[in-house]
Amino acid sequence: MNTSNKRSALSLTLTKGIGNSPIPWLIPLSLILLFVFLFPVFEIIRYSFTDASFLETDYSYTISSFVRLFTLPGFYQMLIVTLIFVTASVFFQMFFGFLIALLIDKGQKLNLKGTVMVRTAVLTAWAIPGVVIGIIWRIMYTETPSGILNYLISFVGVDIVPFLSDPYMALFAVTLANIWRGTAFSMILLYAGIQTLPKDVMEAAKIDGASAIQRLLKVMLPMLAPIILINLIIISIDTFNTFDMVMALTGGGPGQSTEVIALSIYNSIFREFNLGHGAATAVVLLTINVGMTIVYLRVLGKRGAA
Amino acid sequence: MLNKKQLLFTKIFIYLCYGTVLVFFLFPMLWVISLSLKTQQELFATPPAIIPTSFAYENYLHVLENSNVLLYLRNSFIIVLFTVIFALITAIPAAYAISRFRFKGKSALLVTILMTQMISAVVISIPLYRLFAEWGLINNYVVLIIVYVAVVLPFSTWFLKGYFDTIPYELDEAAIVDGCTRFQILTRILIPTCLPGIVSVTILIAVQSWSQFVIPFILLDNESFYPVSVGVMNLQSTQQTISTHLLAAGSVISVLPVIILFVILQRFIVGALTSGAVKG
Repeated sequence: MNTSNKRSALSLTLTKGIGNSPIPWLIPLSLILLFVFLFPVFEIIRYSFTDASFLETDYSYTISSFVRLFTLPGFYQMLIVTLIFVTASVFFQMFFGFLIALLIDKGQKLNLKGTVMVRTAVLTAWAIPGVVIGIIWRIMYTETPSGILNYLISFVGVDIVPFLSDPYMALFAVTLANIWRGTAFSMILLYAGIQTLPKDVMEAAKIDGASAIQRLLKVMLPMLAPIILINLIIISIDTFNTFDMVMALTGGGPGQSTEVIALSIYNSIFREFNLGHGAATAVVLLTINVGMTIVYLRVLGKRGAA
Repeated sequence: MLNKKQLLFTKIFIYLCYGTVLVFFLFPMLWVISLSLKTQQELFATPPAIIPTSFAYENYLHVLENSNVLLYLRNSFIIVLFTVIFALITAIPAAYAISRFRFKGKSALLVTILMTQMISAVVISIPLYRLFAEWGLINNYVVLIIVYVAVVLPFSTWFLKGYFDTIPYELDEAAIVDGCTRFQILTRILIPTCLPGIVSVTILIAVQSWSQFVIPFILLDNESFYPVSVGVMNLQSTQQTISTHLLAAGSVISVLPVIILFVILQRFIVGALTSGAVKG
């Protein structure tokens, strides 16, 4: 009570003068976010209700972009490609990330050498710009006997695998490269989560005779659930927004077999100059982004309350 | 209690896993380095040699002389440097206000900031491109850096706010009693005590801006302004037909500075990512 009196007295002395209102401190941030986010989001929604072309300034308002989008078979194909890419990437990034985090944690407890090296190797993949990752994997996937992956596969007696020229293989190839890129993030997040687990609970489970698998599934995973969920949402949003790596690796091809949603928006606008169509697709992506953020906030709120 | 045999078995198993992880994550990078040191003949050799026999370092000289890789690196460096500076200048006061003031609409503001974090860069770049094209601001670093700053602002502000929250308010009060203004509290007390957090957020901003692709790709169309991320794409389209070993050399040059920094700073990076994660 004493401190609260002191605080109110102090905040009274602070109410006069510039800098004692939060507004000036928040002006630069607000201006930048209004200009770079709010204005473009408003504009893209506006464009999505027009028949605008990227090259001309004249346009009229219509809902034809959405009507066309939802009736084109290409749109659903693109959504399916995106969903496969996102689901597989997210699942395996989290799976491998968790596995590596467990291995590093266990290794540190046993004082093994090389834990830092493993961590750094995984993190390095995350530090490389997406375009370079695309180039690296494009080189790995070379479809001749001198291509390294095809050479290695030849030992198992398989002929040249058309990693990038077969539509199904290309989607697999893009997803694999993305798993390589993104595992580090999940690894670090889940590793941090494992460090926060109360040691006595794990010990108690051990004394009670729970096997390693039981401890993992029945004790560790439930306690990690909030951080797993947060991790899941962050990387899902990130993967939905992926653009650079796919562009460098396949350019969305062959055909449109690896054209994920962000790339599709870019191609409609900058290749086909169809601003209305691209903007309508962008609104779909925006809806996905906002929807996932709401789920994220729910999770955060629950976590804060607990 | 684990007996010795079991322990040994566990250790061997973990080392085998470490080996697999290392091969999976390092092999692609090592292979590209290997290719970058091969001659054209070696490139098409079957079976491919894992270690180049000729050690053709002249590939690197060729790339340095015949492409703009160094220029791209310089551009990236300039963009990242100014992005870090202006992002900190904007995020620190905002984080301070959110952490220290009680005002209406604070949670709404935090949610809005988080929302912007989730929006795809492709979505915002398109209207900005049209606007900048109209105003003659394509290839303008000032507006480009403002957009970069905006992209890193949400997580920087959240992160710093979380860090400021851990500093007890009594410290501020003591300073007020001593006659400090708000601004002095921030610069003389909070910033020095939060230096580790500010370093972490600086690293995260730098990594994100270095890898940023969509924004410069759309808002720049003059090659001499390209940062590395876009420049390498350009290298790919021009060199691909000529040959892979040069593209490999160019890729290695373009990522080398970050990889070296990353290996040196990896402890801090893990710390930065971790503290961000635990605070949510």
